[in-house]
Amino acid sequence: MAERTEPRPPAEVPGYGVGIGWRPEISGFVADLPGIRFVEVVAETLTAEGPVPAPLAELRGRGVAVVPHGVRLSLGGADPVEPERVAHLARVAEALDAPLVSEHIAFVRAGGLEAGHLLPIPRTREAVDAVVANVGRTRAALGVPIALEPIAALFDWPDDELDEAQFLTEILERSEALLLLDVANVFANARNRGGDPLDLLDRLPLERIAYVHVAGGAEHGGLYHDTHTDPVPPAVLDLLGELSARHRPPSVLLERDGHYPPAAALRAELDAIATAAGHPSIT
Amino acid sequence: MSYASRQAELVAALVAGAAVPEGFDDRLVGAARQALLRKRAGDVARHWPLLAAGLGPDWGGTFAEWAARRPTGGSLRDGWDLARSLAARGPLPVPAARELALREVRWRYDGNRPPRPRRLPAVRRVGRAYAVQVAGRVWLLGADRG
Repeated sequence: MAERTEPRPPAEVPGYGVGIGWRPEISGFVADLPGIRFVEVVAETLTAEGPVPAPLAELRGRGVAVVPHGVRLSLGGADPVEPERVAHLARVAEALDAPLVSEHIAFVRAGGLEAGHLLPIPRTREAVDAVVANVGRTRAALGVPIALEPIAALFDWPDDELDEAQFLTEILERSEALLLLDVANVFANARNRGGDPLDLLDRLPLERIAYVHVAGGAEHGGLYHDTHTDPVPPAVLDLLGELSARHRPPSVLLERDGHYPPAAALRAELDAIATAAGHPSIT
Repeated sequence: MSYASRQAELVAALVAGAAVPEGFDDRLVGAARQALLRKRAGDVARHWPLLAAGLGPDWGGTFAEWAARRPTGGSLRDGWDLARSLAARGPLPVPAARELALREVRWRYDGNRPPRPRRLPAVRRVGRAYAVQVAGRVWLLGADRG
């Protein structure tokens, strides 16, 4: 795909303040949040044909925006993205009347094997071309903008040609995508792979941010793992504060995927996120 | 080597026990492999809570040992395959045996293709746990009931 000489500005996405990743296990907790205006749902957990799960339909009825978050498109795959997976994401977005969808800059399968997780792609021109082509195929089927999330990875490919900021900026501009910036991933990558997280914030196109992810993690064997099942460390909240001082993200979402703490602890985490990002409390 | 082949080589190293591809950091790819196994063990435990609970503190290690060279067939099938292989080696803890018996009697699973609901009545035994299924209704029978 040829490089664009004049990248278009990203599409407008409204700001929703603080939100949380909707999971069946915390459905009641989410429904009870008085100020909630947006949630995210893992796109692959919904069926394209069936009705929207009742708790999500209820949130929609209250005017809460629901953003489908894909985890298995494999936009970073060397091969073209599978059309059925793109169609599923588009149908789910339509059923939810979603303002946008999101996916990752990553690959999840290759050579007929499922990795079961998001894997990094090399920071090379070839990999950028492959992602941009796959985002183009996906956007062609979607009626709404797509936000791309850079992942947390424990290792690098040996053949990087670009640094992280160049790599991400080029992908976002060429694919005319929004940015879903995960500050926990930024923290984890800086911890494990080196690099200055503040320098990355200074060099990313922050005006493209559609929303931000925050999540918890833990240490294992000298590495920081972005588990989504542990509390959000203070350092991640500090990074959210640094980001907000540079460019306040329109929306910030907490991802929690298991080992759910008592409701009071989860509310305290949402409040800490609101404070760090300068958004109103939703609890 | 093509970009697609290099991606395939990396996935094989992470989930199928292949060697770490040249140029990658062995220690870090190894850490990613372990993290994937932990995540997979957690996902399978959600689908097979009694199997995981029956193994208690050994769950993580038992699963990782079994799964290290076996790419995932999805959490349901991973847990099913592991439960069958453990049951073949020796008696499963009773709740885990019941969990397996109930699945066996409800679904037909050949170990290769995704499980499909049984249309006909069936009786299955795992250790001392018996399960009976008629028209989709399921009963646990025998001394281990309760």
